[in-house]
Amino acid sequence: MFTIIIKSLIIGMIGGGAIAAGAARMFHAPKIQSMGAFRTLGELNACKGDAITHFSFGLGFLFNAAASVVAAGALTQDVLHRVVPNLAAGTLLLKNKKVEETLYDPAKMAMAGAVVGGVTLVFLNTLAATIPESMSITAREILGPAANLMINPVMPIIFWLAALDAGKITGIWGTILGGFAHMIMGNAVPGAVLGILIGQSIQDRGYSKSVKIMIGIVIVLFFIIAYFRGFFEQVAVFF
Amino acid sequence: MSTENIGLMGKLRSFLMKEYSFAILVALASAAIFAGTHMYFTYNVGAFNEIFVVQMLDEGLKGGDYAAAAGFAAGFLIARVLEGPLVGVLDIGGALMTGVGIGIPAILLASGLTLPIENFALSLLTGALVGILIAVIILIVRKLMPEGMEASGTNIMMGAGNASGRYLGPLIIISAIQYSIPAGLGAFIGAAIFYKMDKPIAGGAILGGMILATIFPVIA
Repeated sequence: MFTIIIKSLIIGMIGGGAIAAGAARMFHAPKIQSMGAFRTLGELNACKGDAITHFSFGLGFLFNAAASVVAAGALTQDVLHRVVPNLAAGTLLLKNKKVEETLYDPAKMAMAGAVVGGVTLVFLNTLAATIPESMSITAREILGPAANLMINPVMPIIFWLAALDAGKITGIWGTILGGFAHMIMGNAVPGAVLGILIGQSIQDRGYSKSVKIMIGIVIVLFFIIAYFRGFFEQVAVFF
Repeated sequence: MSTENIGLMGKLRSFLMKEYSFAILVALASAAIFAGTHMYFTYNVGAFNEIFVVQMLDEGLKGGDYAAAAGFAAGFLIARVLEGPLVGVLDIGGALMTGVGIGIPAILLASGLTLPIENFALSLLTGALVGILIAVIILIVRKLMPEGMEASGTNIMMGAGNASGRYLGPLIIISAIQYSIPAGLGAFIGAAIFYKMDKPIAGGAILGGMILATIFPVIA
C-alpha cells in the first residue's frame, strides 16, 4: 500500500503539473503549441472563472472516475482531461478571480495542477471504493451524456457556424475541411479550425505563398491521418 | 498575462510561455501516463484510460495477443501527433493517454520487452523519452508551417471556443432530466439560482442535480 501511495503521488504530481500547464497554454494557442483538447477548452470556458463551478465539474468527473477504478482499475481519460484542469483552476480562482492571472497562467496552473494531481491520484488509486456507488452513477448519468453531446455534435456545429459567419472564403474552407475531418478524424472541429485559419489568411492576404504551403501541408497530413486511421479501407468497400 | 516576470514564479512563467518548453510538458505528461500503465501492470489500478481501452491491453496481458491494443492505439497516436501542430492543440487523450499509455506498452510487451513497464523508474524514463520524441516531431512540423498563419483566424477560434462553453449548462440540465425527475428538477432549479447569483449555470445544474438525485435515488 505504501509503495502505491508514493508512486501515485509521483505520477500525479508530474502528470498533473504538466497537463495543467498545457491546458493554460491552450488559451495562448495557436501562437504557442499547447496540449489538452478542444472540449477541455470549451468546458473551462463554460465555468467562466467561477471557482464553485470548476469544482463541481471536476468533482463530478472524479466520482465517475472512482466508479471506473473500482470496476476495472481504469482511471478514465477524464482525470487528466477534466478533473485536474478544473480542480486546479478552481483552487487558483478561490484566491484570485481574474482568469488572466490564474487559469491562463501556465506557471500557476503547473503548481496547482501538481498538487491536485498528486492528491487525486493517491485518492483514486487507494480510496476510490469509499465513494458511494449511487453517487458515482448519478455523476456519470448526468455529466456523461452532456459531455458526449458537447463533443459531438455541439462543438463541431459551433466551430462550423463560426467559419460560415466569417465570410464566403472561410465558410467554404471550413465546410470542406470540417467535412473531411469529421469523416477521417471522427470530429469536425480540427478541420473547421484549419478552415478558419486558411480562409482568414486568404481573405487577408490572398493566395500568398505561405497560404499555398499551408494548404499543401494540410492536404498531405490529412492523407497520412486517413491512412493510419484506416479510412481508405472504409472507402475501398464502395469499389 | 500579468506583467510581473520577476522571481521564481516569473521565471517559470516566462519559461512555460516559450514554444520549446512544450517538449518538457509532453515529456512529463507522457512519463506520468506511461507510469500509470506500470501501475496497472503491477497493481491492477491506475491506467489513464477508459475501461474498454484498458481491456484491450488486458487481452494482451492475459492472452499474449496485443494486436488490438497496438493497432487501435498506434493509429490514434500518429493521427493526433500530426493534427496537433496544425491546430495548436495536441489531443492528450488520443496521443498520450491512448497512444503512449496503451499503444507503446502494447508494442513493447508484444516484442517481449517487459522491463520498461515492470520497473517504475524505467517506466517514467521510457514515457519521458517517448514524449520528447513526440514533441520534437510536433515542433518540427510547426517549424515547417509558414509564419503568420495563426494570426488571422485566432479571434474567430477564440470566439467559437467561448461560445461552446455556453452550451454546457443547458446540456447538463437536459441530461439530468433524461436521467430522473429529481435530478432534472435539481439541475434546473440549481441553474436558476446560479443565474440569479451571476454564476455560470453549469455549476448550479451539476450541484442541484447531484444533490436531489442522491436524496431521491433511482431504484434499479
